[in-house]
Amino acid sequence: MDAVTTARPPMSTPPTLARRLNEWGLPLGVVGSVIGFIIGFAVGTHAIPYSFGEDNSLGSDPGILLGYALSVVGFLAGMGFLNYPIGRLLGARRPSEEDNAYMHGEGGGLRRYFRMTTDHKVIGLQYLVMILAFLFIGGLGAMFIRTELLTPSPTVATAQSYLTLVGLHSTLMIFMASAAIIGPFGNYFVPIMIGTRNMAFPRVEALTFWLLPPAGMILLSTVFLGGFTTGWTGYAPLADQNVLGMDSYLIAFALIGLSIGLSGINMIATILTKRAPGMPLSRMPIFVWSVLVTSFLGALAAPALIAAVLMEVFDRSYQTTFFVPAGGGSPYLWENLFWFFGHPEVYIFVVPAFGLVMEMLPVFTRRPLWGYRVAVGGMVGIGLLSFVVWQHHLFVSGLAPSLRPFYMFSTEMISVPTGIIYLVSLGTLWRARTRFTVPMLFIFGFFFNFLIGGFTGVFLSDVPSDFTLHASYFVQAHFHYTIMGGEVFALMAAIVYYLPKMTGRTMDTKLLRFQFWAVFITFNGTFISLISVGILGMPRRVISYAAYLQPLNISASIFAYGLGLSMALFLGILLWEVVIKPRVAASNPWESLGVEWQVPTPVPTFNFDRIPVAWSLPYDYDSGKPAADFGPAVPALSGA
Amino acid sequence: MRNRATATRIVIIVWLVAAIAGDVALALAPIPPGQASDLASNESFTIQLLAEIGWPIFSAVLAALFFTLVVNRLAPPTAEVSGDALRGNTRVQTTWIAATLVIVLSLAVYGTVALAIDQPGDGISNDSASLPMPTSTSQPLEVQVIAQQWWFTYRYPTYGGIETAQLVLPVNQKIQFHVTSLDVVHSFWFYALGVKADAVPLNDNVISATPTRIGTYRIQCAELCGLWHGNMADNTAMVVSPSQFAAWIQQETTIDAPIMKYLLPYSHTYEPSPAIYGS
Repeated sequence: MDAVTTARPPMSTPPTLARRLNEWGLPLGVVGSVIGFIIGFAVGTHAIPYSFGEDNSLGSDPGILLGYALSVVGFLAGMGFLNYPIGRLLGARRPSEEDNAYMHGEGGGLRRYFRMTTDHKVIGLQYLVMILAFLFIGGLGAMFIRTELLTPSPTVATAQSYLTLVGLHSTLMIFMASAAIIGPFGNYFVPIMIGTRNMAFPRVEALTFWLLPPAGMILLSTVFLGGFTTGWTGYAPLADQNVLGMDSYLIAFALIGLSIGLSGINMIATILTKRAPGMPLSRMPIFVWSVLVTSFLGALAAPALIAAVLMEVFDRSYQTTFFVPAGGGSPYLWENLFWFFGHPEVYIFVVPAFGLVMEMLPVFTRRPLWGYRVAVGGMVGIGLLSFVVWQHHLFVSGLAPSLRPFYMFSTEMISVPTGIIYLVSLGTLWRARTRFTVPMLFIFGFFFNFLIGGFTGVFLSDVPSDFTLHASYFVQAHFHYTIMGGEVFALMAAIVYYLPKMTGRTMDTKLLRFQFWAVFITFNGTFISLISVGILGMPRRVISYAAYLQPLNISASIFAYGLGLSMALFLGILLWEVVIKPRVAASNPWESLGVEWQVPTPVPTFNFDRIPVAWSLPYDYDSGKPAADFGPAVPALSGA
Repeated sequence: MRNRATATRIVIIVWLVAAIAGDVALALAPIPPGQASDLASNESFTIQLLAEIGWPIFSAVLAALFFTLVVNRLAPPTAEVSGDALRGNTRVQTTWIAATLVIVLSLAVYGTVALAIDQPGDGISNDSASLPMPTSTSQPLEVQVIAQQWWFTYRYPTYGGIETAQLVLPVNQKIQFHVTSLDVVHSFWFYALGVKADAVPLNDNVISATPTRIGTYRIQCAELCGLWHGNMADNTAMVVSPSQFAAWIQQETTIDAPIMKYLLPYSHTYEPSPAIYGS
């Protein structure tokens, strides 16, 4: 891929078929998905016997599952992911320089955002759009939920529609959160920050993005198949009882798991092998460290999810009994596999947010990052510990009570490395003349919200208090404070911060400040009401609740409407300032020393003319020295 | 607020006042889930302890954040900040990490000890024998909670294995709940007693508590179990005096008499019907 400085044999006539196929990727992908679905559905329904007498006039489980699986394969084939392997198998020549440049989106204009490209910057922006779409649709689901919960008994929703919307809101938000920072900003900026032209596996990177639209569509198609009633945790054996809509959830989640795992492997390979000369691991920007830790979490945890989903698929379609106690299985197996994935998953959400916040703090405090090594140690500690805490989701399940003290200990221990992040941030802010830009506002919001989220987590980590608080709205408020108050606030900070580099546009500061206060106040109003409601005994995922809880629920709903409007305002500002009436930005408006801000805007297709040589961490604001030499005397081997 | 020293003093004083006021409020306020059982009292105490330790720390971090916000806007940073401090300070880092470790370890030790004292014998049990009739209030009375879509029923093995739709318990008597399910995973949540135990089919989940207050309470399901999970709640659970309890048992035995021969013999788990899973 890095063709610029290495000599290549003379070019022959470039093959136009591959390029044509790639150019028409999206329509071909849609056609492929329809054909794939039809074939899979037909084979699944008729050729494979199944013996569950489910009341499914729409089809059978194997039919739907195979239909979805083949539709994804058809979609990816149409998009062009199989072109290279099949082409080579059929004896096509290696891609030429022009082919590679084309695949990289050279000269593609806006159309390259709608096809498979190998340019990590294009993929980053594609991710950003997808994340915002998930956030928006999931947010609509939340508005519906809060409307229903204005009254203690069912009013606007039926039990089935309510639970399906709860499941859709939560699952879409999980999809969104798992890639919200890594997807747009990890993909876009990690290669630039480490001084390389591309990721280690560019086509795999494209795949990790292009798995998301099918996952989203398949998940949303559950409404045509009857919905699903298990929420995002998909507990068996309730999952076995569900109608066809459950299969949408299973396949969609498996696709997301695949995306997380592949993205993790790709990032690890890139960060460990493609750093610029002069950049040992101890000179990597803190954001890249956070991506590295997160990638290990993703690569190691996602297989557990995929395995669990596969077992559930077989339980539903072929009467296996992995999770059915009457057949010798156990619902606890699902719970353990799911949470073995589920707990590292939430650190996948939050660790990149930590990295991003620590990356931005030096820029706005004009100070070096205080305690870089301790920060790295903290994030690695969080990553390691996150694999040995999952039983805290199972404290009341009855499982292994003698292990509860250990998991209580490990869960409480995780607050130590998390506290280190606060230590490093406070150290950077100490005695600094902070520039109160809009991203800085969101960063303070992040610290405030995550502090509350972490504090509520302490009550959940202790077994006796967990007995009262588990499965109540207290837990719900805890994870909304950490994920939404933490990660999503960091996401908004990152969008405002990086927009000038990614798109050359900037957003109206005054409007954004208003929007920040709106979202901060409404967010805290909503979730403080929900903390209270949880302490007072309201369980999660209920359509009816005790009448004495209604005033607090009404308070939460009113604040939630405000929150929804504030988030929509952010989206609106973004669309307006980027697409409708673009407002052009300076090339480095925040005066950052980061390598990613030294490249021109728009970033050249292959990032650098010459691979830079790293001199130091990009945080030398006391001396103002640049972090890297962009015109080294001796050209380095590309991508070395 | 004219200089850093004054501002620092003000922030520290405000923090001290807030920390003390918060802790006093926490000491006086009613803490969920209340004192209606020994388990609930233990849980309330834990929540109160965690809150009282955590609130000063939480407010200190908030104060530090606020401090950096406001105070740094005042007089410019002085030259006494050493160059080293800009990139890190080993002493500060070590102190912070050591302090947080000590707090966390103490909480973990306290939690472990509390668990060992208060909840031995809890969790999944493979013991198929039921307990005999208790001869004193500290010997447990076995009460089975059967969860199904979408209601709870209760069986009393020491009273002939009668099954009732309402949960009535004698006050000051140790109760050993055996929670199980007939179909999917539910969770038996008796908020006032501080009892929460997942109901898993073909599993017997044991949890003990001694109710200490007479009253009428709410029971709800705490694990999503299908369409009517939200309605799987009832407000008629009662803790009554021993004589009222005996009278109620007598009443229920009479009601149950004609159907006893159709009930499954009492056992700690029941085989779900294959039709339950529908598919």
